Amino acid sequence: MAPGLEVDPCDKCEEMMQPYLDKVLSDEERAEAEAHLDGCAYCRKRYTFEVELRQFVRTAFVEEMPPELKMKLSELRTPL
Amino acid sequence: MSGTSPEADPRKLAEQARDRVRFEEDALNLADQVYRVARRLVSTREEAEDLMQETYARAFRSWQSFQPGTNLRAWLLRILTNLNIDRGRRVQRSPDMQPLEEGDYFLYNKLEAAGDSDTDRVEQRLSQDDTVAALSAVPHDFRDVIVLVDIGDFSYADAAQILEIPIGTVMSRLHRGRRILKRELAERTVGSSV
Repeated sequence: MAPGLEVDPCDKCEEMMQPYLDKVLSDEERAEAEAHLDGCAYCRKRYTFEVELRQFVRTAFVEEMPPELKMKLSELRTPL
Repeated sequence: MSGTSPEADPRKLAEQARDRVRFEEDALNLADQVYRVARRLVSTREEAEDLMQETYARAFRSWQSFQPGTNLRAWLLRILTNLNIDRGRRVQRSPDMQPLEEGDYFLYNKLEAAGDSDTDRVEQRLSQDDTVAALSAVPHDFRDVIVLVDIGDFSYADAAQILEIPIGTVMSRLHRGRRILKRELAERTVGSSV
């Protein structure tokens, strides 16, 4: 792990990772996270992994709705 | 005609019928997206199908309570989650808030410790089956927010409205839920001994 001073900057970056990806950090926090990511290969690797993991989780759950269910839902419509 | 009530006014009735048809079409156009979320909120495909039918039956009955211009997908999901709770498929309880040792880098670190030289390639390291099983192992309270935000693409605010919980609770459950999911994924991918 990269060397730290008082608060390990990598620990701080780890804490900010999800809010950063969710785009809910303040401008100041985001700039801090980006500055750290720019200079830290350890965290940058993990950041790239997190981005891909989110995409993977999103696509892992793509499941088509059965066509017969679609028909059943249409049949629930109010008759004209 | 001056004495005609609005309910009996043919023009009003025709307008209302048009609005209803449009609402039903809009709701049906969202069915694939609603199903995708519903399928992960419950355990089985059969449950998801039942829940979808109940949701749409209720939505079509109470279509006038939907405010045009607001988020119809969130409105449908709110009906669905309420029905899910009403039917006792889910027990509302205080979520487990014991300290969690695993941080956000946990899964990556586990894969790296397992000697994987290609840790960065997520799709080559994780299987879809493991991911589905890992999500199923996440407790409901945490899973619901992951399903809504990370799979359903809902905002924190929409998820809060759908689940009828404060937005801060959505954020804390998401934070914890993602870490639990990573722990479950790590166990399935590299085992708990690494």
